[in-house]
Amino acid sequence: MKLKRGYFEDIRIFRNRASRFWTFLFILVLALLPFFIKAYYLSVINLMALNVIVALGLNVLVGNTGQISLGHAGFVAIGAYSGALLMQLGLPFVPALLLAALLTALIGAFLGIPSLRLEGPYLSIVTLGFGLAVMVIIGRMDVFGGRTGMSVPKLKLGWTGLPYDTALYYVFTITTVVLVIITIILLKSRIGRAFQAIRDSDIAASVIGINVSHYKTFSFAISAFYAGIAGCLWGLYLQFVTPGTFSFMMSIIFLATIVLGGLGSVTGSVLGAIVMTYLGLQLENIVGVPVLGDVIVAFSDSLMNTSGIANIKWVLTGLILIGVILFEPMGLNGLWLRVKRYWRLWPF
Amino acid sequence: MSLFSLNHISKSFGGVQALSDLSFELEEGEIFSVIGPNGAGKSTIFNCISGLYTPDEGSIQLAEKEITGWAPHRIARAGIARTFQNLELFRYLTAVDNLLLGRHIHMQASLLRILAMPFRRSRAAREEIAHRHKVEEIIEFLELEAYRDRPVFALPYGIQKLLELGRALALEPKILLLDEPAAGLNNEERQDMIFWIKDIRDQLGVTVIVIEHNMELVKDISDRVLALNFGRMIATGQVLEVLEHEEVRKAYLGEIPETT
Amino acid sequence: MISQLLVNALVAGSIYALIALSMSIIYKASEIPNFAQGEMAMFSTYITFILLSVLGWPFLYALAGTLVFAFCLGFLFEFIFIRRAKEPNLLGFIIITLGFQMVLYGLAGWKWGSDQRTFSLPFSESEVVFQTESVVLTEHNLASIVLAILVMAGLYLLLEHTNLGLAMKASQQNVRAAKFNGIPTNRILGISFGISSIVGAIAGVLVAPISTLDPSMMWDPLLKGFAAAVLGGMKSLHGVVIGGLLLGLVENLFGFYISLEFKSIVAFAIIMLVLFIKPSGLFDKHYVRKV
Ligand SMILES: Nc1ncnc2c1ncn2[C@@H]1O[C@H](COP(=O)(O)OP(=O)(O)O)[C@@H](O)[C@H]1O
Ligand SMILES: [Mg+2]
Repeated sequence: MKLKRGYFEDIRIFRNRASRFWTFLFILVLALLPFFIKAYYLSVINLMALNVIVALGLNVLVGNTGQISLGHAGFVAIGAYSGALLMQLGLPFVPALLLAALLTALIGAFLGIPSLRLEGPYLSIVTLGFGLAVMVIIGRMDVFGGRTGMSVPKLKLGWTGLPYDTALYYVFTITTVVLVIITIILLKSRIGRAFQAIRDSDIAASVIGINVSHYKTFSFAISAFYAGIAGCLWGLYLQFVTPGTFSFMMSIIFLATIVLGGLGSVTGSVLGAIVMTYLGLQLENIVGVPVLGDVIVAFSDSLMNTSGIANIKWVLTGLILIGVILFEPMGLNGLWLRVKRYWRLWPF
Repeated sequence: MSLFSLNHISKSFGGVQALSDLSFELEEGEIFSVIGPNGAGKSTIFNCISGLYTPDEGSIQLAEKEITGWAPHRIARAGIARTFQNLELFRYLTAVDNLLLGRHIHMQASLLRILAMPFRRSRAAREEIAHRHKVEEIIEFLELEAYRDRPVFALPYGIQKLLELGRALALEPKILLLDEPAAGLNNEERQDMIFWIKDIRDQLGVTVIVIEHNMELVKDISDRVLALNFGRMIATGQVLEVLEHEEVRKAYLGEIPETT
Repeated sequence: MISQLLVNALVAGSIYALIALSMSIIYKASEIPNFAQGEMAMFSTYITFILLSVLGWPFLYALAGTLVFAFCLGFLFEFIFIRRAKEPNLLGFIIITLGFQMVLYGLAGWKWGSDQRTFSLPFSESEVVFQTESVVLTEHNLASIVLAILVMAGLYLLLEHTNLGLAMKASQQNVRAAKFNGIPTNRILGISFGISSIVGAIAGVLVAPISTLDPSMMWDPLLKGFAAAVLGGMKSLHGVVIGGLLLGLVENLFGFYISLEFKSIVAFAIIMLVLFIKPSGLFDKHYVRKV
């Protein structure tokens, strides 16, 4: 066999030339996009980027380490509020972003510590409670503007010479691309392997020398770090944050994102976040969709209630969650792998 | 002093006395077998040694060091590796990744170093590559080439057994604990397993404890044997002595040991 | 003052105990923490509302109708979704219950969400049944306590003194053995879901008058129910009732003596504390996987 090979190819980010080519092309398109599309679409992409970041981190925790979090919106909230506060205090953007993310990671680690030893369903309950508790606590704190919320200062991006929207778009996409790459590297490394070992068998992981509680905490911290970054950017995106933004439902949507995309896969996180964001926006004005919209309005009129149509979003998200688990446990990524295999065989 | 000793170990679960007052020592480089009917407490010995269970009483020493009550990952680092009776592989990872995980304790790269891994000359990349070479040696040793990039759940049972042995070997342990390595294997695979266990001792100098029901295998490879029933040692010594021992024969009545 | 506090604690505790019971019944039967429990209760409560206020049924009929609906909802949830899980594992089941939770939440919001409703039950929050200098007992208070006791007694009789209860126990202890002995374990699981849903629905009907009838009305009580269940150890029905009452008491004491504002996170603090001391829950056995 090929004993003389260098093995470096096994740890490279890109498996082959083609994937490197497509990735660079994709990045090039992202870079040039602001010159071709309207500001509204840039903001859609920004929202996708935010969801990609959260999904990457959550997927490391859930898909790779086999833990669960039903309170990720809580981490995002911590990132958003602490980032906003730090920037209000005059800290420049990059240190504020990193500090907010580190703080979130620290809290993630703290939540991870009691969770380490948790058995069965208890972790899901703890994280659910955490998400709800964060909202209550933030909503009662005056520094954060209580229930009314607080405004987030705009970034000083004038030096770039670009319109604010465009500059913000670059901030978001660059952060996202960097984090995607970091995640890919992380998962190929000894740390990522240890995570996956814990997911598949924590007993075997411990007897081959992996400090299981150490790595579980670490996974929580990493996951919270990503959520913290996303949160800080989320504040910039919305320019105003309220406790209600980061609800229990948001946590479940994050979970739905990675389940839809594919647990344990970076491609899955990206695909899932893009599709879920797109769906979320489309569903908000589903009435405007040609034929389908009319059908739904008619259905609402006769059976449901027209003013509650926005709730279709929840129904569909719920059905997606159930449907993926019942029919395609590997999510979109599984679908993608299958399609790829199909096309590889196609000429024959 | 001996390489390893187990002193007056007892362990019970609720009302079940799984082990009572068990002691033995290991000499460096020997193959030591533990036999006994199902439920005798054999696997419990391994679980106590590898730190998954804490013994109720007694102490365990490795090279003069007291390791009783240590966490499993510390014990692994101290030089004890094991396999499981019912396979505990990382099912959704490839064979290579499973073996690489066996190298985990020998890898150091910190998070920051790891971020530089895409650069060929970075320390993390060099470390990773070095360990991949090591793993390739194990693949070659156990003849697993054909399965290296396949996910474990898709591999045949015999190969999974072998892979788990390989993962334990990758730790470069001083002591290797094999819990029923030949269970579920066919005749040919069992012969291979015997060959490999001997090879591991002869070539790598690893001390081995084997739990096994198959008497042919036990006779073939053991330097010494310990027979267990209801958590108590009923005989220990040379293979034939132990197998001829009256209580051992009685313990196996109704569950006659396979002597092919 | 302290006696009023005790009354409030008992009322809250009874409701928490009901929610915890409903979760515990499913958890015992399937080891699934059912995150749809709250929304199932909410949906059933809306049914009561429709039967009562829109169709004008008498209360007892409406309640009976609700319980039938709740049973079907639980049974069908198990039959249609839980049973069909591919490669079933804990994460998959949790996700299915979350999905179902969202579907119910969305449907309720779609149909009824746009305006808040007030509920006219025969027992109201404002009518006083009994009053001394130090204690006021409202109709709702009394109804909560009485209904909770009735449900618990009913469950006790059902589980301990009927064949169905025996079959449920048998399939909890060992599915394979139960199946071997001719117990239809699948159907038993469905029935467990149904019974759990009934208990939850009663809790919902009791929650609605003190909060508002809207799709998210059970979020907070659900967390309380989980806290009570964790406190009591998920698998012990006696335990979770005690857990519920204890939570009601601690929460009200905390609200009175320390901080009313942060009363709602007491439940979370209790969950954390209990699990910190004993990761497998207060009364649950530590589970070691045999290898
Ligand atoms: N984690 C555990 N919990 C309860 N009982 C156990 C556990 N592990 C082992 N036992 C009991 O201890 C006894 C010995 O088991 P074991 O060591 O697995 O036997 P064997 O000799 O077949 O490997 C058995 O009665 C078994 O049921
Ligand atoms: Mg055994």
